[in-house]
Amino acid sequence: MAEAIHKKLQSELEKYQQMQKDVSKSMTSRQKLEAQLTENNIVKEELALLDSQNTVYKLIGPVLVKQDLDEAKATVSKRLEYINGEIQRYETLLKELERKSEQHREVLSSLQQEYQRAQGQAVGKV
Amino acid sequence: MASTIHDQMAAAGKVKRSKYLPQGVERLKEEHRKVVKDCRSQFEHWKKVENDYESLQERLRTLPDKLSYDIMVPFGPLAFMPGKLVHTNELTVLLGDNWFAKCSAKQADALVEHRKKHVKNTLDDLQKVMKNFQNRADFTDDLEKLTGDTGDFVDIREEVINEEEVTKAKHRLAHKANSKPKQEYLLDLEEDKEKKEGDEEGTTGVLSEEELWARLDELERQEELQDERYRYTRLDSTDTNGEDTTSSSEEEKEADGGSDVQVNGHQKENGWVPTSITSQMNGTNGSHPEDEEEEDCDEEAGNGLPTIYFSHTAEFKKVRINTGKNTTLKFSERNEQKAQAKRKKKSGKSNGHSPHESYKITSPADIYRVFVDLVNGEPIPRKSILKSRSRENSVCSDTSESSTADFEERRAAFGRSWSHDDATHSDTSDGITEEESPTGTSPHTNGCFEAFTSTVIEKDPLPCSIPHLTIAPPALPTIPERKLEEVGPEAPQEPPKWMSKFKATRLHQK
Repeated sequence: MAEAIHKKLQSELEKYQQMQKDVSKSMTSRQKLEAQLTENNIVKEELALLDSQNTVYKLIGPVLVKQDLDEAKATVSKRLEYINGEIQRYETLLKELERKSEQHREVLSSLQQEYQRAQGQAVGKV
Repeated sequence: MASTIHDQMAAAGKVKRSKYLPQGVERLKEEHRKVVKDCRSQFEHWKKVENDYESLQERLRTLPDKLSYDIMVPFGPLAFMPGKLVHTNELTVLLGDNWFAKCSAKQADALVEHRKKHVKNTLDDLQKVMKNFQNRADFTDDLEKLTGDTGDFVDIREEVINEEEVTKAKHRLAHKANSKPKQEYLLDLEEDKEKKEGDEEGTTGVLSEEELWARLDELERQEELQDERYRYTRLDSTDTNGEDTTSSSEEEKEADGGSDVQVNGHQKENGWVPTSITSQMNGTNGSHPEDEEEEDCDEEAGNGLPTIYFSHTAEFKKVRINTGKNTTLKFSERNEQKAQAKRKKKSGKSNGHSPHESYKITSPADIYRVFVDLVNGEPIPRKSILKSRSRENSVCSDTSESSTADFEERRAAFGRSWSHDDATHSDTSDGITEEESPTGTSPHTNGCFEAFTSTVIEKDPLPCSIPHLTIAPPALPTIPERKLEEVGPEAPQEPPKWMSKFKATRLHQK
């Protein structure tokens, strides 16, 4: 009986650890997105400082491709929106993961208690 | 991370002198130090960035000075070659995220300026965070010292035995449970007429239960209040707050606060009386308990921290109501006088003349009390001590003594016993307030204290008030006996003071 509970406990523990890893992964990706967000914001502002006389290039691989200033501005704005959307998505994902991990934690604790009780009984029996 | 730190802080704060304390505090300090270190390193980094930008700007400003520069051009990773730097005004700037822009040196300068702004913002935020966490670390240090009984921290405790004594603020009606002041007053009046003695609290409670089940709670509360006041009068040291006050709303509020508090106090009745006595005795043993708050400083190593035990003594509640030209003194000063008279009586057993106490000015209110104009043999307070209504009549006298003397004489004239002094005081002095609530008022006002006190005496039409005196005694035939038995004023006089101000005015006008 105690063994069975022990096994269950182990499996639950693993699941919980997996969840934690997912949570941390989402966290890191979200942080990256945050950095990109700030960067694109700066680019947008700096583009605003320029005038059409300056040529704007985009680095695609090893090549600097000439871009139109307005086009560049539009592209950057679109990218900003995309990043914002991604952040939102990750937010919800993170919340979901947190909730699940919380549930798992509770399950784990109850299992642990059960296991300890079972162990105590086993000791008593022995 | 902040949340964990918060939790840790909370944990550290809650735990006191247990084995977790040092661990918790250590952990908290560790976290603090880590955060502060992180902040510092980041701060360093951004400072470097800023410096780099500064030097870049310098270079940008000087670069277009010459058409071309002779430089050593890096040739691969290990070699340099002499060469020329041309097109000195044409710069390709990395805007971020793989975007480039060709611009002049001046434009690049502007871009750099814009970036520097961002860096500055980041630096400011870092500073704030660092300061915040530094404060937290200091706080935990202080907390440790506090609980560890080291340092210069002293714990000042005040044992609150009766809530009423602590009640300083005027309780708003809305915040008090079951606050129905007017009803209480009316009910009190009814009860006053019905019951004579404060000891009848039990019987009155029974009666209320029998009579009005719907009003059961209120009446019982009033019973408790009366009992409280009765006890107060007996002890002759505390004043109840509020029941006496009628005219102004704040007074009503205070009354409610006092009544409610008294209810609460009464509920702990069994254990209350002896403790209250001791506390009050402590209070009265000091000098001028009415006017001052006493501090009993006992250094104790109670909780590992030097503790000063502090106890408030009752201070009279002094409220001024605006009744046109003159302002009326609420019962406070009268109660003061009554209390003084009582004390004198207790101590000196004097007969009708309270010995003149050296008028002691301990509060601003005393100034108004002491410096009064004597008009027609009656002390009238000046509106300003710098002015006097009639200069020739202005007299610096201790109104308490003189008034007590006058009142006591009148009292003697009416054949009342000593302890009725208070009734007369209040009757003769107050135009609006409870005429019939004499003795009770003084001990009750003792119970509450206020930060600001002011007393102004209104010139009362004595003839009008005198009839009240005659009215009062017949209603309380058994009072003298009880008063002789007990030290202070009696309960029967307490009920009258419940009268609302409107009723009082009506009676007054009769």
